[in-house]
Amino acid sequence: MDVEKDKLRQMHCEFNPLSRCDGSVMYSQGATGLIGAVLGPIEVKTQNLSIDGSYLECNYRPKAGLPQVKDRIREAAIRDVLELALLAEAHPRSKMSVQIQELEDRGSIDACALNCACLAMLIGGLPMKYSFAAVHCIINEQGEYVLDPDQSETLHQRASFTFVLDSVEGNLLLVQTKGAFKIAQFNDIECLCRAASAEIFQFYRSQVAKYHGRSEATAEKAVMET
Amino acid sequence: MFMNSNLFEPGKSKPERNFVQLAVKQNQRFDGRRSNECRDVELTFGSDWGTVAVSMGDTKVLTRVTCDMGTPATSRPNEGKFQLNVNLAGVAFLDELQTTHDQRSLTLNSLLERTFRSSRSVDLESLCVAAEHHVWCIRVDVNVLNHDGNLYDASTIATLAALMHFRRPDVTFADDKLRIYTEKERDFIPLLFLHYPVSVTYCIYKSSWQPIVDPTLLEENAADSVIVLSFNSYQELCSLNAGGTAPTNVRTIMQCARNAATRCKSLVDFIRKALSLDEERRLQGDRLVDGLVALIGNTQHKLSFNKLMGYKKQEQQPTPSDKMELENESSEEPEVEEIEAKEEPSKEETGEAPMDSSGWLPQDEDSQELPIPSEASTSNAGKGKPNRSKNKANKKPLPKKQNHSDSEEEARQFI
Repeated sequence: MDVEKDKLRQMHCEFNPLSRCDGSVMYSQGATGLIGAVLGPIEVKTQNLSIDGSYLECNYRPKAGLPQVKDRIREAAIRDVLELALLAEAHPRSKMSVQIQELEDRGSIDACALNCACLAMLIGGLPMKYSFAAVHCIINEQGEYVLDPDQSETLHQRASFTFVLDSVEGNLLLVQTKGAFKIAQFNDIECLCRAASAEIFQFYRSQVAKYHGRSEATAEKAVMET
Repeated sequence: MFMNSNLFEPGKSKPERNFVQLAVKQNQRFDGRRSNECRDVELTFGSDWGTVAVSMGDTKVLTRVTCDMGTPATSRPNEGKFQLNVNLAGVAFLDELQTTHDQRSLTLNSLLERTFRSSRSVDLESLCVAAEHHVWCIRVDVNVLNHDGNLYDASTIATLAALMHFRRPDVTFADDKLRIYTEKERDFIPLLFLHYPVSVTYCIYKSSWQPIVDPTLLEENAADSVIVLSFNSYQELCSLNAGGTAPTNVRTIMQCARNAATRCKSLVDFIRKALSLDEERRLQGDRLVDGLVALIGNTQHKLSFNKLMGYKKQEQQPTPSDKMELENESSEEPEVEEIEAKEEPSKEETGEAPMDSSGWLPQDEDSQELPIPSEASTSNAGKGKPNRSKNKANKKPLPKKQNHSDSEEEARQFI
């Protein structure tokens, strides 16, 4: 169960588990799981209509009850990143709707939600400039770096970081930090996250390829999986 | 300009309606099921207490039960609070078109309210810590993930399973001090139930007298009327929701009710079994419970109705198929009734509790009292009304739970 401190937890995903939207994904990293779904481009209300780009609607829903402040912050982070990545000019006068439903929160939910949103966009076929990967990392009490921590590991932390990187140029799209740290530590962790993001992009690529390849004459693979 | 996919729900257009009507007339269903065959129900329990995901075919519902301390309502100072919330927005994308959304969430909410709150299935008095001061507030959140028909059943099953799965912390109240224990200090306590209700949905079409159970979205939207019956595990009616324009007679509703009662009983048995399996799993490995992540890919944590109740399915299999053939060849209703009447008592004998509660169903009573079933079934249509009042008279002296008469009277008003 325990993963090394410099490794991401095991990633799993299932594409299009839901039938009524354009694209959906069930994504999990370790024991943290979410469902992401996209719908678009669809009709937009006149108050949100924009003539030079599509309107992006992004909602994050907690497992129970109404969204709290922390859910709103998470939602805002997802929206910020998606607005950067979405190729809005492709569909003016329309709406893109992205919904993320939390299933299980066992640490690093921010990063998982972002990765889930990216996969949902990819599988829903919404136009994007680039895909992105989010990595969460903390400094624990001993001053060690823990990549993609579990919930038990996050209880005692000095600082936490979430980096979002794009796939084309590797630019930083979002940085969230909490706690006290040195600049040197920040740089170390950025390098660590950058390396881990490559693994996530590889995961995207292999999963999407597997999903689309299944319909072709790769029946053997499909049988092996089942 | 853009097609709002929700404007084009299956079953809303005229050709689709005609297709479904025609198919029902020929006793066919789009997904190959029989008219009395339900989709498989799958339960997945989350790692937290009171989190359950239910899927019936493509219909998926996620329910979470939470609790916290609060003050009781002034009208009921010694009862806990019980709140039901239905959330249709989110990944299901059902709120894109406001009008249908409103109606849907209203009907769903009222169904859940009547099934669980009005029928007093949860013992709210046990949730009282100090009268007028401290009670537990139980909140049920029903998140619809995907809608492919029969949200009613999926959400009642999910709600019941979540409530049964839920554990609240232990609490003591002494010297005006409230102390809530953590799970390490004292074990969590499950909720107390007076009875366990679930619902079964039927669709009725003008083209056919035969109602179909567990409709898909296509069938539900094309239906002339939808009947939702809630029964508890004692086979007592908890709520009945009937609407629409299809002409229905007492016989059809009674036929639905009788089948629904058995179905509900087996559903509750299934939930109980699934819960005991989940508990075993929890006892085995403290860290092994990966909760809802199990929804992805591997199927070992999904508890499916057909698998758990497999033996029952096989037992029942021959009878419906016989019945279908009978209907196809000659729609002789008395014979069909006969089979069902015979089927009933044998099933009820297997149940551990005495099933006197199904006595309000006229056909049953007849078949049990009279030795010749054919006579009973031919005459029952006319007998319907007087029989029921007679049953009521019979019912009263029976030593039953007090809530029983409540639910029965409530049901009568609806009929």
